[in-house]
Amino acid sequence: MPRETFQHELDRLVGEIISLGREVEACLGMMVEAMEGHDAGVASRELGIDQRFKERGAEIDEECMILQARQAPVARDLRLIYTIQAVTNHLVRSGTLCEHICRAIAETADCERDPELETALLEMARGARDLFGQGLNVFEDRDIDRARDLEALDDKIDLLYSEAMNLVVNPTNSDGSPEWRMRAALTVHYLERIADHGVDVGGRTVFLVTGERMESAMRQYRERHLDDDED
Amino acid sequence: MDSEKTRKERTLSEDPERRPEVKRLQSRQPSPPVATGSEAQGITIEGLSAFYGSFKAVTDASMNIQANKVTALIGPSGCGKSTFLRCLNRMHEVIPGARAEGCVRLGDQDIYAKGSDPVKIRQRVGMVFQKPNPFSKSIYENVAWGARINGYRGNMDELVERSLRQAAIWDEVKDRLKESGMGLSGGQQQRLCIARTLAVEPEVILMDEPASALDPVSTQKIEDTMEELKKRYTVVIVTHNMQQAARISDYTGFFYIEHMGDPGRLWEFDATDKIFSNPERKETEDYVTGRFG
Ligand SMILES: Nc1ncnc2c1ncn2[C@@H]1O[C@H](COP(=O)(O)OP(=O)(O)OP(=O)(O)O)[C@@H](O)[C@H]1O
Ligand SMILES: [Mg+2]
Repeated sequence: MPRETFQHELDRLVGEIISLGREVEACLGMMVEAMEGHDAGVASRELGIDQRFKERGAEIDEECMILQARQAPVARDLRLIYTIQAVTNHLVRSGTLCEHICRAIAETADCERDPELETALLEMARGARDLFGQGLNVFEDRDIDRARDLEALDDKIDLLYSEAMNLVVNPTNSDGSPEWRMRAALTVHYLERIADHGVDVGGRTVFLVTGERMESAMRQYRERHLDDDED
Repeated sequence: MDSEKTRKERTLSEDPERRPEVKRLQSRQPSPPVATGSEAQGITIEGLSAFYGSFKAVTDASMNIQANKVTALIGPSGCGKSTFLRCLNRMHEVIPGARAEGCVRLGDQDIYAKGSDPVKIRQRVGMVFQKPNPFSKSIYENVAWGARINGYRGNMDELVERSLRQAAIWDEVKDRLKESGMGLSGGQQQRLCIARTLAVEPEVILMDEPASALDPVSTQKIEDTMEELKKRYTVVIVTHNMQQAARISDYTGFFYIEHMGDPGRLWEFDATDKIFSNPERKETEDYVTGRFG
């Protein structure tokens, strides 16, 4: 019976972080929208999410600690609790970064912008939002096959990152106020971090399912498929 | 026709489902025990089966027990852990009708070889039982007795003190060595019994649920002795306490009965870290997480 309760608790926590993740994802969606429309109003509505997400993250953390104290989890239960805490951290941090970006949008809404850099920023923002959502899908469905796709997506973000940084340092025009350029550079950095958190959520899922770190699990996975092909 | 048969035979013997103790991941499994410089010996068990009359309680277990390590044996009730343990010092055969098959080597000595003396084996491989069973003699005599009948000729006071210290009970009894061992608390009695086992100067210590009747603090004291004991001895412990196995052991063997009426099998054997974080087999995982059946 206590073990059944334990299972329910674990299920509930997983549900809780998925809904937390979806909310962060929705905020990232609003962030992209605000960027597209240079909409200070939309961006301002997202201010305060950081505090909210952090509180929920702290609650989840606390519940994990109590479960560990009372249930002494091992094996897959241990991996699940460990993963819940790690994923929560990725989600909360992504929320924090999202709020930073929204603040930058709100505060620079009236600044002059560099259209070329802005295009790169927008593309990165959409990519980061998508990657984050897909990382969450991998976790929700425990679909480690798709965890590999995340890395490919992340390579694209990294490429955009270096392009955008190049435009920050070597502008091709004289557009964009210094204030805006500085915020743009930070935003590029934040977006890259959000994408990384998305990839990490996928990587944590690989660990949860296989008990192996992402890299070696992926290697074993590929080798297994090679073996299958030979049959 | 012939070659086809050969292939089939090979696949059967290599099928991991049929030979659970042949693990697929070899990485963290211990290699055959080697002498480590200290006097402790490891134990190599190959194809061990144990019977009570015609009833087979354990079948075909193979395992390398490393010298100077703690090996924990876990598994559901009745799967043959105690039986297996008792085969390691030829205590199993003292039960009428009971016998063992297979090979058990202590260091490089086959303990079941013709001419090997079970009394000598039991001196080299000592045993601590679930319920403390001190004699109704003084604390001192409880420790000295086994050593004396085994012909110990050294300084008995020193041996008694050393054994009581190794069992982490010296401070509690040093002023009352002449009092009866029966007057001690359960946890103290159990440590007295450990001291008694140590006084015979064995190489291996087998423990069958030594802390199952003790409170957490006494349990902790027994567990604390384990770290010390493995410096000198090889320790094999049966326990139903998963956290205890996880805390104190270096290797863990999981015994399991798949279908009612089958003999117990060694289902998985690996480094304790592996068994408690990412076991290979589903049954092991279900058992250690407490979701059995
Ligand atoms: N003296 C005996 N005579 C006949 N059968 C026995 C005897 N002792 C044990 N058995 C049987 O052998 C099987 C294994 O028993 P064993 O005591 O080794 O299990 P165990 O794993 O130690 O269980 P537990 O966790 O309850 O101590 C069981 O089916 C048991 O009934
Ligand atoms: Mg038993």
